[in-house]
Amino acid sequence: MAGIQPTSGIPARVPPVTGSVAGPQDKSAGKAGFADLLRNYVDKVDQDQRASAFAIQDLVSGKTDDVLPVVQAVAKADLSFKLLIGVRNKVIEAYKQTMNMQV
Amino acid sequence: MGVDGISSGTVDIAISGLRAQRLRMDVIANNIANVHTRQTDGGKPYRRRGVVLGARGTDEILGGVQILRIAEDIASPFKKVRDPGDPSADKDGFVLMSNVELPREMIELVTASRAYQANAAVLKRHQDSINTTLELLR
Repeated sequence: MAGIQPTSGIPARVPPVTGSVAGPQDKSAGKAGFADLLRNYVDKVDQDQRASAFAIQDLVSGKTDDVLPVVQAVAKADLSFKLLIGVRNKVIEAYKQTMNMQV
Repeated sequence: MGVDGISSGTVDIAISGLRAQRLRMDVIANNIANVHTRQTDGGKPYRRRGVVLGARGTDEILGGVQILRIAEDIASPFKKVRDPGDPSADKDGFVLMSNVELPREMIELVTASRAYQANAAVLKRHQDSINTTLELLR
């Protein structure tokens, strides 16, 4: 049982907050970071979608008769798109909640 | 891992398994089709073939399965059948037949198609579990 670590032994994923609260320059950096993150993510999903479209095109046009790459590309595109939809719904929900907040 | 984590990994591994098993079925089909082939390009009867599969990736990275090569079965001998009426018979009336044995090929076919189904089931289950996880977002 030497391999099992006690619960307290699991390292914390979130680094502990030390020092003062982040200044404005950190905030702007965080904003750009999130925008970039989102853009990269949407690009990635778009890539998957295009890959699946190309795979289907290749199959239908007779360029290849192998159906497995189509399955692979479509499965990937489907999963990443579903995650994107989930994240989008969550973001919009958060926005609505913020806008409906009583001030 | 990022976004890739949700869509690659299991999908790629399952697809590699599907591809390997489909090639096995192709080779089995070829064996069965050539069960009575007495002459190939080399002049010898057809030798049954098998697929050699290997694991892809390292100890830490899971890469699924890869097709190493299609190998001829040189271990089992050609069958010698007496058929003096055959044009390819030797002076004693014996004909060399391919070393394909149908019962064995049928068993291989069953295992290959079952393994194909298993890989497809893995893919489906993976999609289901991702969907289950995404339900939690709602």
